[in-house]
Amino acid sequence: MNPAVHLDGITKRFPGVVANDDVDLAIERGSVHALLGENGAGKTTLMNVLYGLYRPTEGRVVVDGEPRSFASPRDAIDAGIGMIHQHFMLVDPMTVWENVVLGNEPRTWGGLRVDEAAAREAVVELSDRYGFDVDPDARIEDVSVGVQQRVEILKALYRGAEVLIMDEPTAVLTPQEVEELYDVFEELTEQGKTIIFISHKLGEALSAADEITVLRDGVNVGTVAAGDVTREELAEMMVGREVLMEPATTPREPGNRVLEVTDLRVEDDRGVEAVSGISFELREGEVLGIAGVDGNGQLQLAEAITGMREPSAGSVEYLGESMAGVTRREHIDRGMAFVPEDRHERGLVMSYDLVQNGILGSQHDPPFAAGGRIDWEASAEHAESVIDAYDVRPPNADADAASFSGGNQQKFIVGREFERDPDLVVATHPTRGVDIGSTEFLHDRLLELRAEGKAILLVSSKLDEVQGLSDRLAVIHECEFTGVVDPATVTEEEIGLLMAGETLDDASVSGAAIHDAVDDGLAGSGESDGDADADATREPAADEEVDA
Amino acid sequence: MRNPLADVPVPILDDLIDDDYVRSLVVGVVGTLGALGLLGVAFPDSIAGDLAGIVFSTGTAASTARLAAPIVLAGLGGIFAEKSGVINIGLEGLLIISAFASVYIASVIGSGNALLGVPAIWVGFLAGIVASTLLAGVFAVVCIEFKADQIIAGLAVWLIALGLAPFMSTVFFGGVNTPNLGASVGWRYSAAMVVVATAASWWTLNRTAFGKHLRASGENPKALDTVGVSVSRVRYAGVLISGVLSGVGGSALALSIGQFVGSGETMVQGKGFIAIVAYLFGNYNPLGTLGAGVLFAGLDATQIRLQQLGYAIPDTLVQTIPYVVVIVVLALVGRTRIPAAAGDHYETEE
Repeated sequence: MNPAVHLDGITKRFPGVVANDDVDLAIERGSVHALLGENGAGKTTLMNVLYGLYRPTEGRVVVDGEPRSFASPRDAIDAGIGMIHQHFMLVDPMTVWENVVLGNEPRTWGGLRVDEAAAREAVVELSDRYGFDVDPDARIEDVSVGVQQRVEILKALYRGAEVLIMDEPTAVLTPQEVEELYDVFEELTEQGKTIIFISHKLGEALSAADEITVLRDGVNVGTVAAGDVTREELAEMMVGREVLMEPATTPREPGNRVLEVTDLRVEDDRGVEAVSGISFELREGEVLGIAGVDGNGQLQLAEAITGMREPSAGSVEYLGESMAGVTRREHIDRGMAFVPEDRHERGLVMSYDLVQNGILGSQHDPPFAAGGRIDWEASAEHAESVIDAYDVRPPNADADAASFSGGNQQKFIVGREFERDPDLVVATHPTRGVDIGSTEFLHDRLLELRAEGKAILLVSSKLDEVQGLSDRLAVIHECEFTGVVDPATVTEEEIGLLMAGETLDDASVSGAAIHDAVDDGLAGSGESDGDADADATREPAADEEVDA
Repeated sequence: MRNPLADVPVPILDDLIDDDYVRSLVVGVVGTLGALGLLGVAFPDSIAGDLAGIVFSTGTAASTARLAAPIVLAGLGGIFAEKSGVINIGLEGLLIISAFASVYIASVIGSGNALLGVPAIWVGFLAGIVASTLLAGVFAVVCIEFKADQIIAGLAVWLIALGLAPFMSTVFFGGVNTPNLGASVGWRYSAAMVVVATAASWWTLNRTAFGKHLRASGENPKALDTVGVSVSRVRYAGVLISGVLSGVGGSALALSIGQFVGSGETMVQGKGFIAIVAYLFGNYNPLGTLGAGVLFAGLDATQIRLQQLGYAIPDTLVQTIPYVVVIVVLALVGRTRIPAAAGDHYETEE
């Protein structure tokens, strides 16, 4: 029997870049196939070729034994290929059935009326057949993200898709919804549908796929059966070398005090207290990790320290001076680097190129400012050096920030901030959405900064990251530190209890609490459920992977 | 917080309006009129009696229909444009240009004559629609093809028409006001057109595939594009329909008195802007727009009659009522939902 899809020697070149290099890929009917690779490995490009968005420079697409040439997604849909984008293409105020049939509405009365009954029936029938449990009359804006994803799948099925391509399908889902998605995969493949999903998460590929194809730098590194391969082997295939699962920290004697936070209280935008009396100090050459479930006050704490939010009480002392009333610009000038949580909102100006983005925060200072004007040559050089040192891909400083994938945007921000030569680095989720190889690199850079005697405040929801990098680990829960522990000796169970708001003295240790949090815990592989791509809805163009 | 008017049982409304807010609006307007009628019958000598006498007189109905036609029709047009994602604030200009063009063409043919068997006044009517649609077409090209700012382009449409119509009138007739044709379109025609257009708009928006596409185009154009429907086409259609409907409104306004008045802000006098208010007030629902348009026009007509009866009501104040109402509605009630992608340009991938 023919494979459902056969990509035969696909090469896709963009000006100056080879995104896919002679990729061969055969996908069996009724299987789940994971396309695994780091940011920019060419996964999305390859799938866009299959979906008719791009035409291959060389090679051909064979669907069900027949060579096909797609001029547009329309042709691909006609050939039974459906794609579910990372950002759903749904109309929020319309109902489920309206969205499913959009553009292919069944009509009566000579076309003057949408046949609602027939449309609803078709949707219910499809939904029942695959056990989707979707209410056809619910409005999209009222249903969960998981249900919205199923509506997208229904849309593709309604158009006769036999092969479903899903781009990072778990990026926006809660762990429970991920489980449900896997059930949906099973239901679909049992009925002969074929699923290809793009991922950069090892655990996901291993648990959901039958076969895994790894792409690296646009080349097919190999296709393996999910049962025959280990995480380590997969990681090595993705990165091209052995991956150290643990960053190596060496104990170090902390130096002078850099930051002292005393009884700090901070309110959020709604006037609700988000930080309730936190005190700590941070010394040269020390990494203080802050672990906790997102939304427990980490954001406001980081903002108060970096001068982006006025504390309501308490004090922040930096290099021996009180920072009360000090402007944000002055914070930067005094050597405080900040990697913000929301890279679209605060890290980058999406419509600026990387040259402009590279000097944000330093635009007043030499060598970038010269006589009231900006020295673009120096700025370009600076951007190039960050791009080079932090492996931002594609290495094009003149491209708009929006055209880079999330992971590459993140690398650029981290690079810009680390290269400020700061005394204090406040890094919130520095490796969110970043692939394994780059995560490892960013971790190494962080440890280098530490070795240079910088003070580092590291906020992350990835347990392995904060635990592996920190000298001391504070756990935050509901606006307060529930404990400050030694990351070398503390157990994951203990951290889990602290994250759940208990204190270690009166708590009986049980392991169940945090298994979800540390599952898939390969060193910083971007596997946390809060993958930053989820926040990209405000900036639809921003996370479209350039993937070149 | 649920609006009590949304629960007044009127069975047929539930089939037509799935929006509590618009339903309340309709129930409220009808209820107020009903109460006024009862009061007027009960106390014929009070101000309520006078008011009821005015509101339920044929004369007021006629002038309400005459005043409401441009508001409701342009408002319906505005719904089509904005639902598709193009905010058309040039409705005022479309009304002006069609008002002038209809009178001009009718007078060129001569009011007693006919062209191909069609009486001059109706040929003029059609000409008004064509003029408005052409101007809307230019607006569409500028906004969709050349991605101009919709608000600025819309203002340009208004300013162009505001300058052009009186100017052409001066060129052709020697003054900003045209002479009277001596023939007119009866108010019953205007009323009929308003009713038919409202019904047809409601059907198109709520029951046809095109209506769904319009909505998708204004809410999430990418969703429409990815299922293979051209967003540009849908938007062109939306804007052109706004031109056609505004043309009907402008022609009806001018031909109902048989003259184009070009002085000041012309005879249109901001009705295009009140039309925007009307469809916002009506929450993009044609029935709500009809209700709001009739309400505003009715207030204006009533005010005129009250002046004639000797009540000294400042007309400028009455004329601000629609704007005050819309600010209150938008700010306090907050139920009007503007299409998410309205005002944004859309570019297809590749």
